[in-house]
Amino acid sequence: MQVAIASGKGGVGKSSVAASLIYLLKDEYSLIAVDADADAPNLDLLFGVEMWEEEKELIGAKVARINTKTCIKCGICAERCPYDCIKLTNGNYVVNELTCEGCGVCRLVCPVEGVITLEEVRSGIIRKTTTKYGFPLISAQLDVGRPNSGKLVTEEKEWAKRIMKEKGIEHMIIDSAAGIGCQVIASLGGADVAILVAEPTPASLSDVKRVYKVVQHFREPAYLIINKADLNPGFKGLYEFAEAENIPIIGEIPYDRAIPRSMTMLKPVVEAFPDSKASKALKEIAEIIKGEILR
Amino acid sequence: MQIAVSGGKGGTGKSTVAVNLAIALREYFDLALADLDVEAPNDHILLRVELQNEEPVHMFMPRFDYSKCTKCRKCAEVCEENAIITMKDGTPFLMPTLCSGCRACEIVCPVTGAILEGEKLMGHTYLTETPYGFPLVTGKLLEGEERAMPIVTAAKRRAKTLNKELLLVDTAAGTSNTVSKALEDSKLLIAVTEPTPLGLHDLTLILELAKLMGIEAWVVVNRADIGEKQRVKEIVERYNAEIVGEIPYSEAIIRSYVKGEPIVLTDSKEAGIFRNLAKKIANYLG
Ligand code: SF4
Ligand code: SF4
Ligand code: SF4
Ligand code: SF4
Repeated sequence: MQVAIASGKGGVGKSSVAASLIYLLKDEYSLIAVDADADAPNLDLLFGVEMWEEEKELIGAKVARINTKTCIKCGICAERCPYDCIKLTNGNYVVNELTCEGCGVCRLVCPVEGVITLEEVRSGIIRKTTTKYGFPLISAQLDVGRPNSGKLVTEEKEWAKRIMKEKGIEHMIIDSAAGIGCQVIASLGGADVAILVAEPTPASLSDVKRVYKVVQHFREPAYLIINKADLNPGFKGLYEFAEAENIPIIGEIPYDRAIPRSMTMLKPVVEAFPDSKASKALKEIAEIIKGEILR
Repeated sequence: MQIAVSGGKGGTGKSTVAVNLAIALREYFDLALADLDVEAPNDHILLRVELQNEEPVHMFMPRFDYSKCTKCRKCAEVCEENAIITMKDGTPFLMPTLCSGCRACEIVCPVTGAILEGEKLMGHTYLTETPYGFPLVTGKLLEGEERAMPIVTAAKRRAKTLNKELLLVDTAAGTSNTVSKALEDSKLLIAVTEPTPLGLHDLTLILELAKLMGIEAWVVVNRADIGEKQRVKEIVERYNAEIVGEIPYSEAIIRSYVKGEPIVLTDSKEAGIFRNLAKKIANYLG
C-alpha cells in the first residue's frame, strides 16, 4: 500500500508527524519510507542517517548556453524566452542558468546556427539507505537552481517499488513536498491513501484545501490530522472543512515543545519523549492507522 | 529596487518576517510586497485582506489543425517536455499536463496554421490594497497544475509595473529555479532560518543560491533560543553573510500569527526587532 502524507505547505509539522508515524509502524509492518520533498529533504535528518548506501545522479535538466563569440547580439532570444531568462549583461546576451527551463525556444529562434546549445546538467541526486531502525529510506536532493521536477519523485518511487519487490516489503510511506506543485502531484499520484496534516490557522486551512483538490483529482481517500490542535481554540475552520468534505479526522496533536526539542535531537518525538502529550496523541493515531488504513 | 525574503522549509517564519518587514519598511520607502510563494501564498491571510483584482495567467498550448498538418513530426521532435506524441502515420497529439507552453512546436512547424493558438489557465495574479498603505501582489497556482514558473514570472511582471521605489519579494521555500526567478534582480536577500539541524541544512542551500546569483545575503534567525546558534554562525561566516536579527521563540508571535494581527504593530519587544531590521535595510539601500 502507498500512503502519502501531505499538508499543502511546510511548517505545520508534517515531517515530524510522518517520522513519528513511521517509527510507530515500523515494528509491525514491513515498510519503506520515501522523502519526496527534494527541495528540502529532512526525514534522513530526523532518522539520524549518517551515510548513504547508494546514490544515483539524476541528469536530465537542460540549460541553454550562448556562445558569445559567434552571437551577433540581435536580442531575439531574449525577446522570445518565455521566462525572461536571457539578459544583456556587459554587452553580451547571457542565459541565467538558475532560472532557465531548458525549453529550447531561444535556440530555435536564434538566426545563427550553433550559437545556442542546450546542455544537459545534473538536476539532483537520489539516495538510498537503511535506517538504524531497520527500514529502508529513499531520499532526494535537488541541486540549487534546478527545475523542481516531479521526475525526481517519480524516480524515487520507482526505486522504492523495486526494493519493495526484492525484499517483499508491503507498504510505502511518502512524506510529500510542501505546496501543490509537480512534486506533490507525483507523490500523490498512485498513492492508495492520503493523510493530510494541518494546523488550526487560516493559512494552513487554505493550503490544505488546495492540496485536497489534488487528492480529489486522484480519487484517493483522505484522512486529516490536526497538529498543534490547541493553538487556536476559537478556530473551527478545519472541522468545518473536514465535515463538509467527509474527511475523517484521525487525530489531534496538542502543541508540545517536545516536538521542536526532539527535532534538534534528530529523533522522532515518539522516540525522544515517548511520554509527552504529543507522543501520546501520535500513538493513538498510529493505532487508528493500523486498524483502519493499513489493516 | 528589489529585495527578497526567503528561507528554508516552510514554517521557519518566512512569511511572518516578510509581512512585518513590509509594514516596518513603509516608514522609509514607497513599496509593494509580492507574494511569489505561488503554491501556498499566505501573505494576504497574515495581512487579513481578501485577494482582489484577479487576472488570469494563461499559458500557450498548441492545438492542431489536422486539415493542414502534414504529419512531419517536427513539433514532436522539438518538444523538450515530450508533450507531443505522434501516431504511426505521424499525426501529432498533445498531452496537456506535460506541456510547458514554450511555443517551440509552433516556432518549428513548417506549415502556417497547422498549429493554432490554444490556451490553458494556470492560475492567477492579484493586486490587493492593504490597510497598511502598500499594495500586495500575489501569484497563485491553480490546484492540479504543475508549473509554478509562469505564475512567478507573471506576478513578478505585474509587481514591476507598479514602479514602486522598493519591491519586497516573498519567495517560496527551497532553492528550485522558481525561487531563483523570484530572487532575480534583488539587491539583498533576507534569509530566515531556525537554528535546528533542518534549518541549517536549508540555510546552506539558500546561501549557496544567493552566492551563485551574486546577491548579498543577510540572515534572520527565528526561534533563536531553541537550537545550535553557533552552527548558524559558522555557516553564515562561510558564506560571508551576516546575522542581522534574532527572533526568540515567542508566544506573542504565535498569537499574532493565529489572530492575523502583525506583531510589528504591537508594542511588544518583538516589534522592535522588525523595526530595527527595517532601519538597517533602509540604511543599506541608502
Ligand atoms: S531554453 Fe527556454 S527558458 Fe532557457 S533561456 Fe532558452 S528560451 Fe529561455
Ligand atoms: S538570438 Fe542568437 S545571435 Fe541573437 S542575441 Fe540571441 S544568441 Fe545572439
Ligand atoms: S508548447 Fe512547448 S512544451 Fe508545449 S507542446 Fe509545444 S514544444 Fe512542447
Ligand atoms: S510540425 Fe506542424 S505540420 Fe509537422 S506534424 Fe507538427 S503540426 Fe503537423
